[in-house]
Amino acid sequence: MNLLEVDRVSRYFDGLAAVDDVSFAIEKGDLVGLIGPNGAGKTTLFNLISGFQPLSGGTVRFSGRTVDGKKPHAIARLGMSRTFQNLRIFPNMSVFDNTSVGAVGIVGQSGWNAVFGTATRAETISRRSWAALEKVGLASVAGDLAANLSYGKRKYLEIARALAMEPELLILDEPAAGLNDSETAELAAFIKTLNAEGITIMLVEHDMTLVMGICRRVIVLASGRKIGDGTPEVVRTDPAVLEAYLGTDDA
Amino acid sequence: MSELSRRNLTWLCLLAIVFVVAPAFLAYFDQGYFYQLSTLALIFALLAASLHLVTGVSGLLHLGQAAFYGVGAYVAALLSINYEVPFSVGLPLAGLGAAAVAVLVALPTMRLVSIYFAVATLAIGQMIYLVLLNWVGLTEGPNGLVLSSGIEFFGYDVGARIGTYFVVAVIVLFSLWVIHRLTHSYYGNALRALREDDQCADAMGIDTVRLKVGIFAVSAFFAGIAGALWAYTTGYISPGDFNFANSILILAMVVVGGLGSLPGAVIGALLLILLPEALRGVGDFRNIMVGLTMFLVIVFVPKGLMGEVSALAFFRSRFASAWQGGGGGKVGWR
Repeated sequence: MNLLEVDRVSRYFDGLAAVDDVSFAIEKGDLVGLIGPNGAGKTTLFNLISGFQPLSGGTVRFSGRTVDGKKPHAIARLGMSRTFQNLRIFPNMSVFDNTSVGAVGIVGQSGWNAVFGTATRAETISRRSWAALEKVGLASVAGDLAANLSYGKRKYLEIARALAMEPELLILDEPAAGLNDSETAELAAFIKTLNAEGITIMLVEHDMTLVMGICRRVIVLASGRKIGDGTPEVVRTDPAVLEAYLGTDDA
Repeated sequence: MSELSRRNLTWLCLLAIVFVVAPAFLAYFDQGYFYQLSTLALIFALLAASLHLVTGVSGLLHLGQAAFYGVGAYVAALLSINYEVPFSVGLPLAGLGAAAVAVLVALPTMRLVSIYFAVATLAIGQMIYLVLLNWVGLTEGPNGLVLSSGIEFFGYDVGARIGTYFVVAVIVLFSLWVIHRLTHSYYGNALRALREDDQCADAMGIDTVRLKVGIFAVSAFFAGIAGALWAYTTGYISPGDFNFANSILILAMVVVGGLGSLPGAVIGALLLILLPEALRGVGDFRNIMVGLTMFLVIVFVPKGLMGEVSALAFFRSRFASAWQGGGGGKVGWR
């Protein structure tokens, strides 16, 4: 079954195509990498899927529902969760409070419930937050201020916050950016475990070893168009992909 | 466990001060001035706490809180004068009236970001103030309104000054408890997420516009309650009580106490009400002192007395995101 269907999606900025007629579908449980040279439109495509930018054309379906035109929070509540390219945690909040925001957005808690209601919702939110923190290994620093974490741990915090939403589809925008080789390897193993637990994952990444190492399928964008799609082995030898990355012979 | 008992101890101390030490002090000196001052301090503690929800926790720079304080006061006074509505009914209606006005003005303004939102709240505050000042048929304009009846519960008049003090204290403390529960809850964490990065909060499944309108209304509700208390305790209100200078005074209390901290906001309120009284000699320089205190705190103690966020970074980010054009290239809009 297809969890996500991107159908002839386009996005123009002042007539310039950032994403041009891109189509693909992602099956439930898959681990897909999205690669492409700088300016290929990868992040724009993520923003279109998660509702952060309006589409100029095409449709996006998630879990069988058309989601284009919906607000980001409405899409998130359907089970899609994303991280951001340049690490957006809440610096003045504790690690636990950061994570709880992911849970409270999905579980929901009204002001009335917070003051006079029963503790059931709060307990659900707390349980989800602790589970997410345990998973990424940050439970021991739950009370620390997020701003005081090291860069690598902040990356995991952002993932924990997304996991507290208990998403079906997790979209990671350059998760390995700024990490060294050993940290990247550790992250790759972690992403694989998450996927093994049943979360469908789509990630944008510059680090080829990460993408080629863990993804079952790779989609290649160049200048806003999809130029390659298949297993890492197929994509690696695809002449169109090589041309986009290395330039044409007669250049 | 020790965390819990320490929190209980703080509340116990607060209760003891408000219900034992302060009344004993008031009864011993038995001066009208001290009663007025303690009531004023309690009312402003509630006002600062109400703004703490919007500005300190949710990060919306709100420059018109005094207007909602005024709406509450006028709703209570007009109901009392024209329809002889008793205090126990007028008080919640004053809160609801202020909240209703807040929702009406919030719906069009909540899409504004950063400094543009702040300017809009400033304009709204001024508009409400001018309505109170110029709608003479309803509000008697600059002459103000005189209330005939005092604080009474179901026909029982609390009458005595100490009785009035206790009624105000109970209402303010209960309101502070509600605001405390809101601040330290997952709902409160969602509000903090708005302050830290509202686009990111949106990606977490939080309906940011609805949450902002909601907290704006809750905050106005408590400001309205404070307004009703002011109207009933002084027996006379005029538009001058609810002007821009008062909005800034309330903001200064929150900044001095520290953005995001409820005890901070309350202590800030007590400081900025009691200090100028203690230094009565400065007279007309009071307003300069408020501005100067806020300025000095922002520059030298950016986190205030006990804040979670640096006020300097806060104001800088509200301005900076405006320069960068807010969201999606449309200046000031999202």
